[in-house]
Amino acid sequence: MASENSIRVLDPTAPQSIATDGMAERPESLAGKRVGLLRNSKLNSEPLLDAIFDVLAERFEVSIAYKADKGDASRPAEPDFLSDFSNEVDVVLLANGD
Amino acid sequence: MTTRLTSDSLELPGALEAIETYFENGWSDGLPVVPPTAEAVSATLEAANLAPDAILGIEPVKGAVITAEKAAINAVMAGCKPEYFRVVAAAVDAITQPEFNLHGITVSTMGAAIMLVVSGPIAEELEINSGVSVFGPGHRANATIGRAVRLIVMNVLGTRSNDGLDKATLGHPGKYSWCIAENEQALPNNWSPMHVTRGVDEGESGVTVFSGLSGTQFGEHEANTPEGILDSFAERLYPLGPGVKEVALIICPEHAAYFDEAGWKKEQLGQYLYENARKQASEWIAMKLPSGAQQENNMKPDASEGNRLISVLDSPESVIPIVAGGPGGAWSAIIPTWSNGDRSKVVTRPIG
Repeated sequence: MASENSIRVLDPTAPQSIATDGMAERPESLAGKRVGLLRNSKLNSEPLLDAIFDVLAERFEVSIAYKADKGDASRPAEPDFLSDFSNEVDVVLLANGD
Repeated sequence: MTTRLTSDSLELPGALEAIETYFENGWSDGLPVVPPTAEAVSATLEAANLAPDAILGIEPVKGAVITAEKAAINAVMAGCKPEYFRVVAAAVDAITQPEFNLHGITVSTMGAAIMLVVSGPIAEELEINSGVSVFGPGHRANATIGRAVRLIVMNVLGTRSNDGLDKATLGHPGKYSWCIAENEQALPNNWSPMHVTRGVDEGESGVTVFSGLSGTQFGEHEANTPEGILDSFAERLYPLGPGVKEVALIICPEHAAYFDEAGWKKEQLGQYLYENARKQASEWIAMKLPSGAQQENNMKPDASEGNRLISVLDSPESVIPIVAGGPGGAWSAIIPTWSNGDRSKVVTRPIG
C-alpha cells in the first residue's frame, strides 16, 4: 500500500467521553408522578416549562410540579443540588429558554 | 525523551490527499491544514520538552483530557513552528481553568472566541506581532498559535459548529485565530507588562486568555489627556450595559503616550472609568440595557431608582488595559468578554 510518496498522518481527535450509561429508568406512565421542573436560569425557561407542565397535567394525572433553578445556564448543576432535587420528584423536565 | 505516539494514523497517497481527507473528516476549520506526520508532532513535543501523554489541561465540565500529543497534532496542523508549542501548551492550561468556563463560552449562542495576549520576552523571541495591524494577517506566530487553540477546541473537545457543540448565533472571525502580543515598547513608563500585573514573575513570559466577543474600534484624534481618551472609551462601554465585570481596553501607542506623559498608573484607568462612566437608572432603562438576553441574576436597574447613577463597571478592577497596535493613528478599541465577565474570567498563566 505504502508507495514512495505516501504520507502517514495522525488523527487529531480524541474520543468523546460522554456517558450514555446510568440513565434513570423510564416510568411506564406519568400518572400520579411528581414532576420536577428544572430551569436553567434563562428567563424564558420558566414559562416554557410551565406550559409543558400544563399540557402534561391535562393529559396525565401528574401530581405537583416541583420547581427549581440550577442557577447558571452555562455550568452543570452541583451534585448536592441534584441529589436534593431528585428526592423531591419522580421525573424531571429541563428547558433552555433563551 | 521518548516520544511514543499513540494516536491512530492514516496512510495516504500524498500531502494534498491528506489535506482533502482532513477536510472530509471534519478535522479542519475550513482552511487547509498542514498534514501532521509523526516526525513533525515529535519535533513539536520535543521543543516544549513534553511527553506525549503529559496532560496540558482537563476541560472541567465534560472531563475531557487534552494531552500534549493531541495538542501537538493540532498545532502542527495549524502551521505552528515547534518553538511556538510552549505558548500553545500554556494557553491550553489557561483555557481549562474552571473560572474561564471554556464549555460555556464555546457552546453558547453568544459566540465568544478565545483571544490570547502574550507578554514577556517570548513575544519578541517568537516574533509575535504587537505592532502595526496587530489583529491583522501576515504574522505566522499570531496566526498559527491562535489557530492551534481553536483546532484543539474543535478536534479534542468536539466543539465544532458544523456537527458539534458550538451553537453560536453569529460567532466572529476571531474564532479562526486570535493571538496578539502586548506592545511592551509602547507601555507607559510606570506600567508593568500584562502578565506581571496579573501575578507572573517579571522576566518570565505569560499568556492571558479572554472569552472575547467582537470588538469596537474607535478613533479619538482630538483628546490629548487621559481623561479625554477615557471619556471616549466610556461611550463605547455604555452599550454593554451597567455593571460590566471584565472588559479589555486595547490602547493604541498614540493614546498610551498621553497616559505616559501624564504619569498615570495603570490602575487609575479603571478608577476613573468606574467613577465617571455612569448613567442614571432611567437612562439605562431607556437604552434597554442590560439586554433581554441577559439572565435574571445580572444587574437590572429598576424604574423606581430614577436618577440614581449606576456605573458601567462593576468595580475599578473591571477594565483590563492592553497596549497594542502600530505607532501611527489614534485608534483604540474595547473588546467585551462573554457575559461581561460575569461567568467567564480572564486567566493568565506563565509560559513554561
